[in-house]
Amino acid sequence: MGSNSTTRPLPGRQQLPREFITRHQRARIIAALAEEATEKGYRAVTVADIVKRAGIARNTFYENFSSKEECFLAAQEYGMSTALGRVVEAAGSFDEWPQRVCAGLGAFLGFVVEEPALARTCMVEALSAGPAAVRYYEESQQAFVSLFKLGRDVSPRGAELPETLEEALIGGVFWILYQRLTSSQLEAISELLPQLSEFALAPYLGPEGARKAAAL
Amino acid sequence: MKDSANQPVEAPEYPPELARLPPGRHGLPREFVAHNQRERLIAGLAEAVAENGYAGTTIAHITRHAAVSRRTFYEHFNSKDECFVAAYDAVMAELSRRVGEAFEQEDEWPQAVRAGIAAMLEFLAAEPHLARLSMVEALVAGPVVVERYDAAIQNLVPYFQAGREGRSQKVLAGLSPTTEEALVGGMGSLISRRIFADRTEELEALLPDLVEFTLTPYLGSSEAAKIARAS
Repeated sequence: MGSNSTTRPLPGRQQLPREFITRHQRARIIAALAEEATEKGYRAVTVADIVKRAGIARNTFYENFSSKEECFLAAQEYGMSTALGRVVEAAGSFDEWPQRVCAGLGAFLGFVVEEPALARTCMVEALSAGPAAVRYYEESQQAFVSLFKLGRDVSPRGAELPETLEEALIGGVFWILYQRLTSSQLEAISELLPQLSEFALAPYLGPEGARKAAAL
Repeated sequence: MKDSANQPVEAPEYPPELARLPPGRHGLPREFVAHNQRERLIAGLAEAVAENGYAGTTIAHITRHAAVSRRTFYEHFNSKDECFVAAYDAVMAELSRRVGEAFEQEDEWPQAVRAGIAAMLEFLAAEPHLARLSMVEALVAGPVVVERYDAAIQNLVPYFQAGREGRSQKVLAGLSPTTEEALVGGMGSLISRRIFADRTEELEALLPDLVEFTLTPYLGSSEAAKIARAS
């Protein structure tokens, strides 16, 4: 499925179905929140900031969301499901598990580089946006756990690996990206793919197996 | 046996840096009292935050727990945020002192890593309120604290980097510039997730998994597993 997030809504009155307009409004509001949060940190963002940046009326905001918090959760959900959708699609085009992991990681890094504000909202700001946001952040990481866990089937040590391995690997990858996002080293992110692939594959395939698979 | 009257009645709720003097007059030097008031305020904040969360904590909560006046609060801190930063720093200083000491006591690097991780888990499990303050509330307390939080995790990197020393070319080739960062990030996520979920009682059981996870890149998985599972 293609992403329509780059499509700019046209100004003025349109002869468009109401549902279409609503969807666009929501997307615009979400994008505005993500950009504002990236600039000044989520805590400092007000509904007035979001409204101004989205170029909509305050009423329109409240027709879509009851509060800044609800808008944040929607942005987070949109961001994570976009990222996850890309990962699943990329991983799905390979049969071998190591290639699936590398492709999935590549797609995830691609999302972070192409949608830095949304990525920052999901991976940085979410941590300081209250308990519901943190809970969603934690749960959404679990989706990646299942992709990694399949590695146990191809690993000679599959049965002996620590139970928390996947949680730790994903935590490691998220931390590295968190660091790059908070220090605005976006260019460095796409170069991380071989390193992160090796890091994720090594516990299953051993260092040499991981290096070979990551180099493919 | 020591005279039991000198023994503390129960284990102190806070580490020594956060210990409190009973309120009231005690004829102590002014500078000491001032210093101690600061510590009481810090301990008061930790208690107030444990009770109300950071966002719900007011200066009145803090001064009530610390048993000092509002005016005294403002002699030491300009705001709740400033007091929180001081509390955060006190907790992190204590945590890193304990980790450093445990690490230094072992001669062999793998055992030192194990001891350091064990000390960290032990402290966080024994002090669930401080664990929450330093890992959960810290993230909602604003950018200044978030920066410190990030730095505290990154400060663990050198403990793992020390493991590169004396490794074969083959092992070193398997390590990337970001290996240590990924290891501390992975470790931090396992720990903070359990603190977020109020499951600090599970922290100490993470020891073998964390040791195996962090030693594997340097020692290989079977050697790492052996050290991790040794009691």
